[in-house]
Amino acid sequence: MEVLHTNNEGNQVLNLSRLHLFELNLDQIEDGQRNRVQRLYLTYNSIAFFPSSVCLLPNLEYLDISNNAISVLSDDITRLTNLKTFVAKNNNLDETSFPKFFGSMQNLQTLNFSGNRFREIPVQFLKLSRLQSLSLGGNRLKGIPAEIEHLTRLEMLYLGGNMISSIPPELANLGQLRCLVLCDNCIQSVPPQLSRLHSLLSLSLHNNLLKFLPREILSLVHLQELSLRGNPLVVRFVKDMTYNPPSLLELAGRTIKSRNVLYLPSDLPASLSHYLDTASKCPNPKCAGVYFDSCVRHIKFVDFCGKFRLPLMDYLCSPECTSPCGCNPQSHGESEGEGDVPATRLQRVLLGSPLSCNRFGEAGLGLLT
Amino acid sequence: MEQAGLVKPETLDGLIKILHKIFENDIINVEEVQNIMEAYASKPQEWMKFAKFDQYRYTRNLVDEGNGKFNLMILCWGEGHGSSIHDHTDSHCFLKLLQGQLKETLFEWPDRKAHGDMVQKSQRILKETNSIGLHRVENVSHTECAVSLHLYSPPFSHCQTFDQRTGHRNTVRMTFWSKFGERTPFWSQLL
Repeated sequence: MEVLHTNNEGNQVLNLSRLHLFELNLDQIEDGQRNRVQRLYLTYNSIAFFPSSVCLLPNLEYLDISNNAISVLSDDITRLTNLKTFVAKNNNLDETSFPKFFGSMQNLQTLNFSGNRFREIPVQFLKLSRLQSLSLGGNRLKGIPAEIEHLTRLEMLYLGGNMISSIPPELANLGQLRCLVLCDNCIQSVPPQLSRLHSLLSLSLHNNLLKFLPREILSLVHLQELSLRGNPLVVRFVKDMTYNPPSLLELAGRTIKSRNVLYLPSDLPASLSHYLDTASKCPNPKCAGVYFDSCVRHIKFVDFCGKFRLPLMDYLCSPECTSPCGCNPQSHGESEGEGDVPATRLQRVLLGSPLSCNRFGEAGLGLLT
Repeated sequence: MEQAGLVKPETLDGLIKILHKIFENDIINVEEVQNIMEAYASKPQEWMKFAKFDQYRYTRNLVDEGNGKFNLMILCWGEGHGSSIHDHTDSHCFLKLLQGQLKETLFEWPDRKAHGDMVQKSQRILKETNSIGLHRVENVSHTECAVSLHLYSPPFSHCQTFDQRTGHRNTVRMTFWSKFGERTPFWSQLL
């Protein structure tokens, strides 16, 4: 195959992969041809310094320099104003490798820097407002910045294989996110706000440190794939022993709310009036109680489309507040009582539609792994 | 040792022809099938048309129906994609890597009475395998995709999946993402 050729989609492709190259020499390619090159492959070479001559291809839309030894990207990469996809897997890049104005490359839609040395997501990335797909799998990321919410067009976020210990609730503002991969990290909890990711189709959480999931996860009605294997998920009910008794303020607040004691704003200092507004209703439908700051964590086991029991976490107003059939789902196949999420609702949430169990090939195989 | 019809398959089509011949007999020599699969040297341009990836999960792409005696299919695994723990009903499973790597974890059959974590038998990175037990197969790479060639004999359309934490099992129906290089959309699978 010619190094310079037109592919099936009509793109002009320059393929210089696996040629033991240390640099990029475009001398053989005349100006007219250079202007037409849309895709450049330089993968599997021995390039240690980003070749500036790449910037002589003004209409470049796709660049793949994976599997080299590049540790820094030169400033003039920003001249590639038409670049939409930039792939540089398996190099020596980190968050300091990028030019200061990398964030100005507003045509970038896809970045894949998996297999590098990133310890954090570079701030420049967070300015790429048209970014649709970001992959930083297999790096050394310790966390996710709250500013990730600026990437409002993001549909795919792959952060598997890092050292991430928590998920910022701001991630939930990515309304177009369809695929979120957080497997092989050190995540201990999932913020309930993630239930706002209404476009989410696939959530990968396997091999983390999760003991349970927030009950709100049931709101992800379009979710088709969910992986949870390799987490220390609680299988038996664990009595939570860390209940802090409520303060006098809280007890007074609870009494006012649960007895519907009437009051006017003029009856109370503004701070107390505001405090009373922060009451949360106990999620146990059998309980009419409220709580303010003092609540007990309750793990409820929800039958996961007949496959296995998923521990979902919720807050109750007190340790005495339990569902009528008791909190001990030791025996399998038992339902949790009428207060539970109905099985049909659960199926709809987890499977998308009743027929999608068959739609996705080995249904249980792919759907929940 | 001379084996009837043991020729090195030069192409994927050649491999399929040899497999058809082997499976004409009623009694199949497992080692023969294994050797033939191993002998085929992967040429991406021959199987690329079957290798259709999905962003969210691995795909099963039917290559040949083996006159009803076997199914030959290509599975495409994106980064991080894995299967659940499953059996192969009573069929034999032959697997060969065409690209990338896969990790296989074998499990003991859970005792129906016992609860608690399923016991792992072994774990390894695959090049080829044939198995008739319970396993989980995963692409653990965060940077590379994997493509594997699978032969199942006899073909099967249902299998059991298992929850690793409890051994609880569930029967599921299998479907194909594509057949013979053509994407098979959901509605056609209803028929």
